[in-house]
Amino acid sequence: MIADAATGVALALRGEGDPYALSGMLRHEDALTPAAVRVLGADALAPYAVEHRAAPAGVDDEAVVRQALMAYPPGDGASEVSLWSYRGLVEAAHAFLPGDGRPWPPAPEAGTAWVGDSPWPKLSHRVSQLAALALPGLASGLAEQLAARTDDLSRGFVRAVRRRDWLQAAGVGRWLARLPDVPGTLGLDSGLAFVHQMGGADPRVALHVAAARRFYGRGG
Amino acid sequence: MTGGHGDPGLLDHMVEASLGWLDGARGSFRLPPDVTTDADPNLTLKPLGELAELSQLIGAVHPREEIRRTARGLFAFAWNETRDGELFAELIRGEPFATYPVELYGVFARAGLRHAEADELVRTTTRLRGWRVAREDHTRTLGVLNAERRIGLRQHADFASVLALTGLGRLPEPWALDRKAAYGITHDVFHLTDWGRDRQRLSPELAGYLRLWLPSWLENWLEEQLWDLVGELLAVTACLPKAPYDPVAWQRLAGAQAADGSVPEMGAAPGSGDPDEMFTACYHSTLVTAFAATLARIAADEAEAGPRGGDPVLVGGRTPGESESAP
Repeated sequence: MIADAATGVALALRGEGDPYALSGMLRHEDALTPAAVRVLGADALAPYAVEHRAAPAGVDDEAVVRQALMAYPPGDGASEVSLWSYRGLVEAAHAFLPGDGRPWPPAPEAGTAWVGDSPWPKLSHRVSQLAALALPGLASGLAEQLAARTDDLSRGFVRAVRRRDWLQAAGVGRWLARLPDVPGTLGLDSGLAFVHQMGGADPRVALHVAAARRFYGRGG
Repeated sequence: MTGGHGDPGLLDHMVEASLGWLDGARGSFRLPPDVTTDADPNLTLKPLGELAELSQLIGAVHPREEIRRTARGLFAFAWNETRDGELFAELIRGEPFATYPVELYGVFARAGLRHAEADELVRTTTRLRGWRVAREDHTRTLGVLNAERRIGLRQHADFASVLALTGLGRLPEPWALDRKAAYGITHDVFHLTDWGRDRQRLSPELAGYLRLWLPSWLENWLEEQLWDLVGELLAVTACLPKAPYDPVAWQRLAGAQAADGSVPEMGAAPGSGDPDEMFTACYHSTLVTAFAATLARIAADEAEAGPRGGDPVLVGGRTPGESESAP
Protein backbone atom coordinates (compact mmCIF):
# COMPACT_ATOMS: atom_id res chain seq x y z
CA MET A 1 0.00 0.00 0.00
CA ILE A 2 2.79 2.42 0.92
CA ALA A 3 4.75 1.31 -2.13
CA ASP A 4 1.75 1.96 -4.37
CA ALA A 5 1.20 5.34 -2.78
CA ALA A 6 4.88 6.26 -3.20
CA THR A 7 4.67 5.21 -6.84
CA GLY A 8 1.59 7.40 -7.26
CA VAL A 9 3.38 10.40 -5.76
CA ALA A 10 6.47 9.82 -7.90
CA LEU A 11 4.34 9.57 -11.05
CA ALA A 12 2.57 12.78 -10.17
CA LEU A 13 5.87 14.57 -9.58
CA ARG A 14 7.08 13.44 -12.97
CA GLY A 15 3.86 14.74 -14.49
CA GLU A 16 2.76 11.28 -15.55
CA GLY A 17 -0.47 9.38 -14.92
CA ASP A 18 -3.84 10.79 -13.90
CA PRO A 19 -4.07 14.05 -11.97
CA TYR A 20 -3.02 13.32 -8.40
CA ALA A 21 -5.56 13.07 -5.64
CA LEU A 22 -4.38 11.78 -2.29
CA SER A 23 -7.87 10.73 -1.28
CA GLY A 24 -8.26 8.88 -4.55
CA MET A 25 -5.15 6.84 -3.89
CA LEU A 26 -5.52 6.35 -0.16
CA ARG A 27 -9.20 6.17 0.65
CA HIS A 28 -10.53 7.66 3.84
CA GLU A 29 -12.47 4.54 4.72
CA ASP A 30 -9.50 2.19 4.37
CA ALA A 31 -8.20 1.16 7.80
CA LEU A 32 -4.58 1.31 6.69
CA THR A 33 -4.77 4.79 5.21
CA PRO A 34 -3.78 6.74 8.35
CA ALA A 35 -0.65 4.64 8.78
CA ALA A 36 0.28 5.01 5.11
CA VAL A 37 -0.13 8.79 5.24
CA ARG A 38 1.89 8.99 8.44
CA VAL A 39 4.72 6.99 6.83
CA LEU A 40 4.73 9.09 3.66
CA GLY A 41 4.58 12.21 5.80
CA ALA A 42 4.77 15.46 3.88
CA ASP A 43 5.29 13.49 0.68
CA ALA A 44 1.63 12.53 0.73
CA LEU A 45 1.02 16.15 -0.25
CA ALA A 46 4.14 16.68 -2.36
CA PRO A 47 2.26 16.78 -5.68
CA TYR A 48 0.21 19.72 -4.35
CA ALA A 49 3.45 21.67 -3.96
CA VAL A 50 3.90 21.62 -7.72
CA GLU A 51 3.00 25.00 -9.18
CA HIS A 52 0.20 25.36 -11.74
CA ARG A 53 -1.43 22.10 -10.90
CA ALA A 54 -4.46 21.13 -12.95
CA ALA A 55 -6.42 19.76 -10.01
CA PRO A 56 -6.18 21.46 -6.61
CA ALA A 57 -6.43 19.59 -3.33
CA GLY A 58 -9.89 19.04 -2.03
CA VAL A 59 -11.77 18.50 1.19
CA ASP A 60 -11.43 14.73 0.94
CA ASP A 61 -7.64 15.10 0.99
CA GLU A 62 -7.92 17.21 4.12
CA ALA A 63 -9.98 14.56 5.81
CA VAL A 64 -7.39 11.90 5.04
CA VAL A 65 -4.54 14.01 6.41
CA ARG A 66 -6.49 15.08 9.48
CA GLN A 67 -7.33 11.46 10.20
CA ALA A 68 -3.64 10.45 10.03
CA LEU A 69 -2.53 13.33 12.25
CA MET A 70 -5.15 12.42 14.83
CA ALA A 71 -4.34 8.71 14.73
CA TYR A 72 -0.56 8.98 15.10
CA PRO A 73 0.45 11.93 17.25
CA PRO A 74 4.04 11.63 18.43
CA GLY A 75 4.01 10.19 21.94
CA ASP A 76 6.18 11.02 24.90
CA GLY A 77 9.78 10.24 24.15
CA ALA A 78 9.19 10.21 20.41
CA SER A 79 12.44 10.32 18.43
CA GLU A 80 13.56 13.49 16.70
CA VAL A 81 12.92 11.78 13.37
CA SER A 82 9.38 10.98 14.41
CA LEU A 83 8.77 14.53 15.67
CA TRP A 84 10.16 16.07 12.54
CA SER A 85 8.23 13.87 10.16
CA TYR A 86 4.97 14.59 12.00
CA ARG A 87 5.83 18.26 11.98
CA GLY A 88 6.52 17.99 8.27
CA LEU A 89 3.05 16.64 7.61
CA VAL A 90 1.46 19.43 9.67
CA GLU A 91 3.52 22.06 7.85
CA ALA A 92 2.63 20.52 4.49
CA ALA A 93 -1.07 20.55 5.42
CA HIS A 94 -0.81 24.27 6.20
CA ALA A 95 1.14 25.01 3.07
CA PHE A 96 -0.52 22.88 0.42
CA LEU A 97 -4.12 22.29 1.51
CA PRO A 98 -6.71 25.03 1.16
CA GLY A 99 -8.03 24.67 4.73
CA ASP A 100 -11.65 24.34 5.75
CA GLY A 101 -11.40 26.76 8.64
CA ARG A 102 -10.82 24.11 11.27
CA PRO A 103 -7.42 24.26 13.01
CA TRP A 104 -4.79 21.65 12.29
CA PRO A 105 -3.18 19.84 15.20
CA PRO A 106 -0.26 21.88 16.51
CA ALA A 107 3.16 21.22 15.03
CA PRO A 108 5.30 19.70 17.79
CA GLU A 109 8.54 21.36 18.73
CA ALA A 110 11.38 19.48 17.08
CA GLY A 111 14.98 20.16 18.00
CA THR A 112 17.97 20.68 15.75
CA ALA A 113 20.79 20.06 18.23
CA TRP A 114 21.40 16.65 16.62
CA VAL A 115 22.23 18.37 13.34
CA GLY A 116 25.29 19.91 14.92
CA ASP A 117 26.15 17.00 17.20
CA SER A 118 25.84 13.86 15.08
CA PRO A 119 28.86 12.33 13.40
CA TRP A 120 28.34 12.57 9.65
CA PRO A 121 27.35 8.92 8.99
CA LYS A 122 24.60 9.13 11.62
CA LEU A 123 23.55 12.58 10.46
CA SER A 124 23.18 11.33 6.90
CA HIS A 125 21.11 8.39 7.99
CA ARG A 126 18.71 10.60 9.95
CA VAL A 127 18.47 13.17 7.21
CA SER A 128 17.61 10.46 4.70
CA GLN A 129 14.77 9.41 7.00
CA LEU A 130 13.51 12.98 6.79
CA ALA A 131 13.72 13.17 3.01
CA ALA A 132 10.02 14.08 2.77
CA LEU A 133 10.81 17.42 4.41
CA ALA A 134 12.91 18.43 1.43
CA LEU A 135 9.97 20.25 -0.11
CA PRO A 136 9.66 23.95 -0.95
CA GLY A 137 8.90 26.06 2.10
CA LEU A 138 8.95 23.23 4.61
CA ALA A 139 11.23 22.94 7.65
CA SER A 140 13.16 26.04 6.70
CA GLY A 141 14.91 26.15 10.09
CA LEU A 142 16.13 22.62 9.60
CA ALA A 143 17.31 23.44 6.10
CA GLU A 144 19.36 26.35 7.45
CA GLN A 145 21.02 24.11 10.01
CA LEU A 146 21.71 21.40 7.47
CA ALA A 147 23.30 23.88 5.09
CA ALA A 148 26.16 24.19 7.57
CA ARG A 149 26.81 20.47 7.13
CA THR A 150 26.55 20.22 3.39
CA ASP A 151 30.02 18.69 3.05
CA ASP A 152 29.20 16.06 5.66
CA LEU A 153 25.92 15.19 3.98
CA SER A 154 27.79 14.91 0.69
CA ARG A 155 30.12 12.42 2.38
CA GLY A 156 27.05 10.54 3.56
CA PHE A 157 25.78 10.38 -0.01
CA VAL A 158 29.12 8.91 -1.12
CA ARG A 159 29.08 6.35 1.66
CA ALA A 160 25.48 5.35 0.95
CA VAL A 161 26.08 4.87 -2.78
CA ARG A 162 29.19 2.83 -2.13
CA ARG A 163 27.21 0.66 0.29
CA ARG A 164 24.50 0.34 -2.37
CA ASP A 165 22.05 1.73 0.16
CA TRP A 166 19.98 3.37 -2.56
CA LEU A 167 17.20 4.52 -0.25
CA GLN A 168 19.58 6.40 2.01
CA ALA A 169 21.46 7.78 -0.98
CA ALA A 170 18.24 9.01 -2.59
CA GLY A 171 17.05 10.60 0.66
CA VAL A 172 20.30 12.41 1.36
CA GLY A 173 20.64 13.30 -2.31
CA ARG A 174 17.19 14.86 -2.26
CA TRP A 175 18.18 17.06 0.68
CA LEU A 176 21.43 17.99 -1.02
CA ALA A 177 19.39 19.04 -4.03
CA ARG A 178 17.71 21.60 -1.78
CA LEU A 179 20.92 22.91 -0.20
CA PRO A 180 23.15 25.57 -1.74
CA ASP A 181 26.88 25.03 -2.14
CA VAL A 182 26.99 21.30 -2.69
CA PRO A 183 30.61 20.49 -3.68
CA GLY A 184 30.91 20.37 -7.45
CA THR A 185 33.12 17.29 -7.38
CA LEU A 186 30.32 15.27 -5.77
CA GLY A 187 28.52 15.08 -9.11
CA LEU A 188 25.08 15.26 -7.51
CA ASP A 189 23.13 15.27 -10.78
CA SER A 190 24.77 12.20 -12.18
CA GLY A 191 24.71 10.67 -8.70
CA LEU A 192 20.94 10.99 -8.44
CA ALA A 193 20.55 9.60 -11.95
CA PHE A 194 22.80 6.69 -11.03
CA VAL A 195 20.89 6.00 -7.81
CA HIS A 196 17.66 6.02 -9.80
CA GLN A 197 19.06 3.56 -12.33
CA MET A 198 20.40 1.24 -9.68
CA GLY A 199 17.74 1.49 -7.00
CA GLY A 200 14.67 2.93 -8.70
CA ALA A 201 12.78 -0.33 -8.40
CA ASP A 202 12.10 0.79 -4.82
CA PRO A 203 9.23 3.30 -5.18
CA ARG A 204 10.58 5.41 -2.33
CA VAL A 205 13.89 5.81 -4.17
CA ALA A 206 12.00 6.79 -7.31
CA LEU A 207 9.96 9.29 -5.28
CA HIS A 208 13.00 11.01 -3.77
CA VAL A 209 14.74 11.29 -7.12
CA ALA A 210 11.56 12.63 -8.73
CA ALA A 211 11.20 15.22 -5.95
CA ALA A 212 14.82 16.35 -6.29
CA ARG A 213 14.24 16.89 -9.97
CA ARG A 214 10.80 18.46 -9.81
CA PHE A 215 11.44 20.93 -7.01
CA TYR A 216 15.14 21.63 -7.25
CA GLY A 217 16.04 20.77 -10.82
CA ARG A 218 18.73 18.31 -9.79
CA GLY A 219 19.32 14.83 -11.06
CA GLY A 220 19.22 15.46 -14.78
CA MET B 1 37.15 13.57 10.16
CA THR B 2 38.14 15.73 13.06
CA GLY B 3 41.10 18.00 13.50
CA GLY B 4 43.44 17.60 16.40
CA HIS B 5 47.08 16.84 16.73
CA GLY B 6 47.11 13.11 16.60
CA ASP B 7 48.21 10.66 19.21
CA PRO B 8 52.00 10.30 19.00
CA GLY B 9 52.06 7.53 21.61
CA LEU B 10 49.66 5.37 19.65
CA LEU B 11 51.26 6.17 16.30
CA ASP B 12 54.78 5.40 17.50
CA HIS B 13 53.65 2.18 19.08
CA MET B 14 52.10 1.12 15.78
CA VAL B 15 55.29 1.88 13.86
CA GLU B 16 57.46 0.08 16.40
CA ALA B 17 55.23 -2.99 16.47
CA SER B 18 55.04 -3.11 12.65
CA LEU B 19 58.78 -2.77 12.21
CA GLY B 20 59.33 -5.42 14.87
CA TRP B 21 57.23 -7.90 12.92
CA LEU B 22 58.84 -6.95 9.62
CA ASP B 23 62.29 -7.33 11.14
CA GLY B 24 61.33 -10.80 12.30
CA ALA B 25 60.07 -11.62 8.80
CA ARG B 26 63.39 -10.96 7.05
CA GLY B 27 63.58 -14.62 6.09
CA SER B 28 60.38 -14.27 4.08
CA PHE B 29 61.64 -11.13 2.30
CA ARG B 30 64.84 -12.91 1.27
CA LEU B 31 65.10 -13.37 -2.48
CA PRO B 32 65.29 -16.97 -3.74
CA PRO B 33 68.13 -18.05 -6.07
CA ASP B 34 65.73 -18.15 -9.05
CA VAL B 35 64.51 -14.60 -8.52
CA THR B 36 65.55 -13.43 -11.99
CA THR B 37 64.20 -16.49 -13.77
CA ASP B 38 61.30 -18.58 -12.52
CA ALA B 39 60.17 -17.06 -9.23
CA ASP B 40 56.90 -15.14 -9.07
CA PRO B 41 57.92 -11.46 -8.79
CA ASN B 42 54.74 -10.72 -6.83
CA LEU B 43 56.04 -12.95 -4.05
CA THR B 44 59.69 -11.90 -4.22
CA LEU B 45 60.60 -8.58 -5.81
CA LYS B 46 57.39 -6.78 -4.98
CA PRO B 47 57.56 -7.38 -1.22
CA LEU B 48 61.26 -6.52 -1.10
CA GLY B 49 60.73 -3.37 -3.16
CA GLU B 50 57.95 -2.21 -0.86
CA LEU B 51 60.07 -2.97 2.19
CA ALA B 52 62.87 -0.88 0.72
CA GLU B 53 60.61 2.01 -0.31
CA LEU B 54 58.94 2.39 3.05
CA SER B 55 61.81 1.49 5.38
CA GLN B 56 63.98 4.06 3.61
CA LEU B 57 61.39 6.73 4.23
CA ILE B 58 60.84 5.78 7.87
CA GLY B 59 64.58 5.51 8.46
CA ALA B 60 65.04 9.03 7.13
CA VAL B 61 62.15 10.94 8.61
CA HIS B 62 60.79 9.35 11.78
CA PRO B 63 61.45 11.58 14.78
CA ARG B 64 62.42 8.66 17.07
CA GLU B 65 66.01 7.48 16.80
CA GLU B 66 65.39 3.82 17.70
CA ILE B 67 62.65 3.58 15.09
CA ARG B 68 64.89 5.13 12.46
CA ARG B 69 67.62 2.66 13.38
CA THR B 70 65.37 -0.39 12.92
CA ALA B 71 64.07 0.98 9.63
CA ARG B 72 67.56 1.72 8.35
CA GLY B 73 68.54 -1.84 9.25
CA LEU B 74 65.70 -3.14 7.10
CA PHE B 75 66.66 -0.88 4.21
CA ALA B 76 70.27 -2.07 4.39
CA PHE B 77 69.01 -5.65 4.46
CA ALA B 78 66.99 -5.00 1.28
CA TRP B 79 69.99 -3.51 -0.52
CA ASN B 80 72.05 -6.46 0.57
CA GLU B 81 69.42 -8.78 -0.94
CA THR B 82 69.90 -7.03 -4.28
CA ARG B 83 73.60 -7.88 -3.98
CA ASP B 84 74.46 -4.20 -3.87
CA GLY B 85 72.44 -3.59 -7.02
CA GLU B 86 73.83 -6.43 -9.10
CA LEU B 87 70.28 -7.81 -9.18
CA PHE B 88 69.10 -4.80 -11.21
CA ALA B 89 71.70 -5.31 -13.90
CA GLU B 90 70.57 -8.93 -14.16
CA LEU B 91 66.89 -8.04 -14.23
CA ILE B 92 67.39 -5.41 -16.92
CA ARG B 93 69.48 -7.78 -19.05
CA GLY B 94 66.68 -10.35 -18.73
CA GLU B 95 63.84 -7.92 -19.50
CA PRO B 96 65.40 -4.76 -20.95
CA PHE B 97 62.07 -3.11 -21.77
CA ALA B 98 60.24 -3.85 -18.53
CA THR B 99 59.64 -0.97 -16.18
CA TYR B 100 59.71 -2.80 -12.87
CA PRO B 101 63.50 -3.14 -12.58
CA VAL B 102 63.81 0.61 -13.14
CA GLU B 103 61.10 1.35 -10.60
CA LEU B 104 62.80 -0.88 -8.03
CA TYR B 105 66.24 0.49 -8.72
CA GLY B 106 64.88 4.01 -8.26
CA VAL B 107 64.06 3.23 -4.64
CA PHE B 108 67.72 2.64 -3.88
CA ALA B 109 69.11 5.22 -6.28
CA ARG B 110 67.07 7.84 -4.46
CA ALA B 111 69.03 7.02 -1.32
CA GLY B 112 72.32 7.26 -3.19
CA LEU B 113 72.83 3.50 -3.57
CA ARG B 114 73.96 2.98 -7.15
CA HIS B 115 75.22 0.18 -9.33
CA ALA B 116 77.38 1.32 -12.21
CA GLU B 117 76.29 -1.31 -14.70
CA ALA B 118 72.61 -0.87 -13.87
CA ASP B 119 73.07 2.88 -14.37
CA GLU B 120 74.54 2.34 -17.83
CA LEU B 121 71.83 -0.10 -18.80
CA VAL B 122 68.94 2.17 -17.79
CA ARG B 123 70.52 5.12 -19.56
CA THR B 124 70.39 3.08 -22.74
CA THR B 125 66.96 1.48 -22.40
CA THR B 126 65.13 4.56 -21.21
CA ARG B 127 66.43 6.63 -24.13
CA LEU B 128 64.55 4.48 -26.63
CA ARG B 129 61.51 5.78 -28.44
CA GLY B 130 59.86 2.55 -27.36
CA TRP B 131 60.25 3.58 -23.72
CA ARG B 132 58.11 6.62 -24.38
CA VAL B 133 55.17 4.67 -25.77
CA ALA B 134 52.23 5.38 -23.49
CA ARG B 135 51.44 2.66 -21.00
CA GLU B 136 47.97 1.47 -20.18
CA ASP B 137 48.07 2.35 -16.53
CA HIS B 138 48.66 6.05 -15.92
CA THR B 139 49.22 5.55 -12.20
CA ARG B 140 51.99 3.10 -12.96
CA THR B 141 53.44 5.59 -15.42
CA LEU B 142 53.68 8.10 -12.58
CA GLY B 143 55.71 5.49 -10.70
CA VAL B 144 58.02 5.09 -13.68
CA LEU B 145 58.40 8.87 -14.00
CA ASN B 146 59.21 9.13 -10.32
CA ALA B 147 61.83 6.38 -10.67
CA GLU B 148 63.39 8.22 -13.61
CA ARG B 149 63.57 11.35 -11.51
CA ARG B 150 65.15 9.46 -8.65
CA ILE B 151 67.76 7.87 -10.88
CA GLY B 152 68.46 11.19 -12.57
CA LEU B 153 67.20 10.15 -16.00
CA ARG B 154 65.29 12.35 -18.37
CA GLN B 155 61.60 11.86 -17.63
CA HIS B 156 59.99 10.19 -20.63
CA ALA B 157 56.72 12.15 -20.33
CA ASP B 158 55.41 15.23 -18.59
CA PHE B 159 54.42 14.31 -15.05
CA ALA B 160 51.57 16.81 -14.79
CA SER B 161 50.07 15.69 -18.10
CA VAL B 162 50.04 12.06 -17.02
CA LEU B 163 48.69 12.96 -13.58
CA ALA B 164 45.78 14.72 -15.26
CA LEU B 165 44.75 11.38 -16.80
CA THR B 166 44.74 9.41 -13.55
CA GLY B 167 42.00 8.64 -11.08
CA LEU B 168 43.21 11.53 -8.96
CA GLY B 169 43.77 13.99 -11.78
CA ARG B 170 40.33 13.41 -13.26
CA LEU B 171 38.65 14.19 -9.91
CA PRO B 172 36.12 11.39 -10.43
CA GLU B 173 32.75 11.38 -8.72
CA PRO B 174 33.73 10.19 -5.24
CA TRP B 175 30.91 7.65 -5.12
CA ALA B 176 32.02 6.07 -8.39
CA LEU B 177 35.11 4.53 -6.89
CA ASP B 178 35.76 0.83 -6.63
CA ARG B 179 38.57 -0.79 -4.76
CA LYS B 180 40.99 -0.77 -7.66
CA ALA B 181 40.34 2.90 -8.33
CA ALA B 182 40.89 3.69 -4.65
CA TYR B 183 44.30 2.01 -4.71
CA GLY B 184 44.99 3.97 -7.88
CA ILE B 185 44.26 7.29 -6.18
CA THR B 186 46.44 6.49 -3.16
CA HIS B 187 49.33 5.64 -5.44
CA ASP B 188 48.79 8.75 -7.56
CA VAL B 189 49.35 10.70 -4.35
CA PHE B 190 52.37 8.63 -3.33
CA HIS B 191 54.10 9.05 -6.68
CA LEU B 192 53.22 12.74 -6.87
CA THR B 193 54.53 13.49 -3.38
CA ASP B 194 57.43 11.03 -3.55
CA TRP B 195 55.75 8.96 -0.83
CA GLY B 196 54.93 11.88 1.39
CA ARG B 197 58.33 13.55 1.24
CA ASP B 198 57.26 16.34 -1.05
CA ARG B 199 53.74 17.04 0.03
CA GLN B 200 53.61 20.56 -1.34
CA ARG B 201 53.40 19.04 -4.82
CA LEU B 202 49.77 18.29 -4.03
CA SER B 203 47.94 21.22 -5.62
CA PRO B 204 45.25 23.04 -3.61
CA GLU B 205 42.63 21.63 -5.96
CA LEU B 206 43.72 18.03 -5.45
CA ALA B 207 44.19 18.54 -1.72
CA GLY B 208 40.70 20.03 -1.47
CA TYR B 209 39.20 17.10 -3.34
CA LEU B 210 40.96 14.58 -1.10
CA ARG B 211 40.08 16.47 2.09
CA LEU B 212 36.42 16.35 1.14
CA TRP B 213 36.16 12.71 0.18
CA LEU B 214 38.77 10.78 2.15
CA PRO B 215 36.47 10.51 5.19
CA SER B 216 33.79 8.69 3.18
CA TRP B 217 36.28 6.32 1.62
CA LEU B 218 37.88 5.61 4.98
CA GLU B 219 34.50 4.86 6.48
CA ASN B 220 33.67 2.50 3.63
CA TRP B 221 36.86 0.51 3.79
CA LEU B 222 36.94 0.46 7.57
CA GLU B 223 33.57 -1.24 7.36
CA GLU B 224 35.03 -3.75 4.91
CA GLN B 225 38.07 -4.15 7.18
CA LEU B 226 40.38 -3.81 4.21
CA TRP B 227 43.26 -2.74 6.39
CA ASP B 228 45.93 -2.09 3.78
CA LEU B 229 43.65 0.31 1.95
CA VAL B 230 42.65 1.91 5.24
CA GLY B 231 46.35 2.43 5.96
CA GLU B 232 46.96 3.90 2.51
CA LEU B 233 44.01 6.27 2.89
CA LEU B 234 45.34 7.37 6.29
CA ALA B 235 48.75 7.93 4.71
CA VAL B 236 47.14 10.09 2.02
CA THR B 237 45.25 11.99 4.71
CA ALA B 238 48.56 12.70 6.42
CA CYS B 239 49.87 14.21 3.16
CA LEU B 240 47.26 17.00 3.22
CA PRO B 241 48.18 20.49 4.36
CA LYS B 242 47.18 20.85 8.03
CA ALA B 243 46.46 17.15 7.93
CA PRO B 244 43.30 16.17 9.75
CA TYR B 245 43.61 13.36 12.29
CA ASP B 246 40.80 10.83 12.54
CA PRO B 247 41.15 9.26 16.00
CA VAL B 248 38.46 6.67 15.40
CA ALA B 249 40.03 5.37 12.19
CA TRP B 250 43.44 5.16 13.85
CA GLN B 251 42.02 3.32 16.84
CA ARG B 252 40.37 0.81 14.53
CA LEU B 253 43.53 0.21 12.54
CA ALA B 254 45.42 -0.17 15.82
CA GLY B 255 42.79 -2.68 16.88
CA ALA B 256 43.48 -4.74 13.75
CA GLN B 257 47.18 -4.95 14.61
CA ALA B 258 48.00 -8.23 16.34
CA ALA B 259 50.15 -8.44 19.46
CA ASP B 260 53.09 -9.52 17.28
CA GLY B 261 52.78 -6.30 15.25
CA SER B 262 51.32 -7.83 12.09
CA VAL B 263 48.34 -6.25 10.39
CA PRO B 264 46.25 -8.52 8.16
CA GLU B 265 45.35 -7.36 4.68
CA MET B 266 41.67 -7.98 5.30
CA GLY B 267 39.54 -8.95 8.29
CA ALA B 268 41.45 -11.14 10.71
CA ALA B 269 44.78 -12.84 10.09
CA PRO B 270 44.69 -16.44 8.81
CA GLY B 271 44.52 -18.86 11.68
CA SER B 272 46.49 -21.67 10.09
CA GLY B 273 49.81 -20.57 11.56
CA ASP B 274 51.53 -21.30 8.25
CA PRO B 275 54.36 -18.74 8.09
CA ASP B 276 54.24 -18.30 4.30
CA GLU B 277 50.53 -17.74 4.38
CA MET B 278 50.92 -15.33 7.29
CA PHE B 279 53.60 -13.40 5.47
CA THR B 280 51.62 -13.07 2.25
CA ALA B 281 48.51 -12.03 4.16
CA CYS B 282 50.22 -9.47 6.36
CA TYR B 283 53.43 -8.02 4.96
CA HIS B 284 51.85 -5.29 2.84
CA SER B 285 49.37 -3.96 5.39
CA THR B 286 52.01 -4.09 8.11
CA LEU B 287 54.37 -2.01 5.99
CA VAL B 288 51.60 0.41 5.09
CA THR B 289 50.67 0.79 8.76
CA ALA B 290 54.24 1.75 9.68
CA PHE B 291 54.35 4.16 6.73
CA ALA B 292 51.00 5.81 7.46
CA ALA B 293 51.72 6.14 11.18
CA THR B 294 55.07 7.74 10.37
CA LEU B 295 53.49 10.35 8.08
CA ALA B 296 50.70 11.00 10.59
CA ARG B 297 53.30 11.43 13.34
CA ILE B 298 55.16 14.03 11.31
CA ALA B 299 51.89 15.80 10.50
CA ALA B 300 51.05 15.81 14.23
CA ASP B 301 54.45 17.29 15.07
CA GLU B 302 53.91 20.01 12.50
CA ALA B 303 50.48 20.81 13.87
CA GLU B 304 52.10 21.10 17.30
CA ALA B 305 54.87 23.35 16.02
CA GLY B 306 52.49 25.51 14.03
CA PRO B 307 52.62 26.29 10.34
CA ARG B 308 55.95 26.62 8.65
CA GLY B 309 57.19 26.91 5.15
CA GLY B 310 58.76 24.05 3.28
CA ASP B 311 59.50 20.65 4.65
CA PRO B 312 63.26 20.32 5.02
CA VAL B 313 63.21 17.16 7.13
CA LEU B 314 61.22 15.33 4.49
CA VAL B 315 63.25 16.32 1.51
CA GLY B 316 66.09 14.18 2.76
CA GLY B 317 69.10 15.52 0.96
CA ARG B 318 67.39 16.30 -2.27
CA THR B 319 66.11 19.72 -3.15
CA PRO B 320 62.48 19.76 -4.29
CA GLY B 321 62.30 19.97 -8.04
CA GLU B 322 65.86 18.80 -8.49
CA SER B 323 66.45 16.16 -11.12
CA GLU B 324 63.10 16.70 -12.79
CA SER B 325 65.05 16.09 -15.95
CA ALA B 326 68.53 14.98 -16.76
CA PRO B 327 71.12 17.66 -17.40
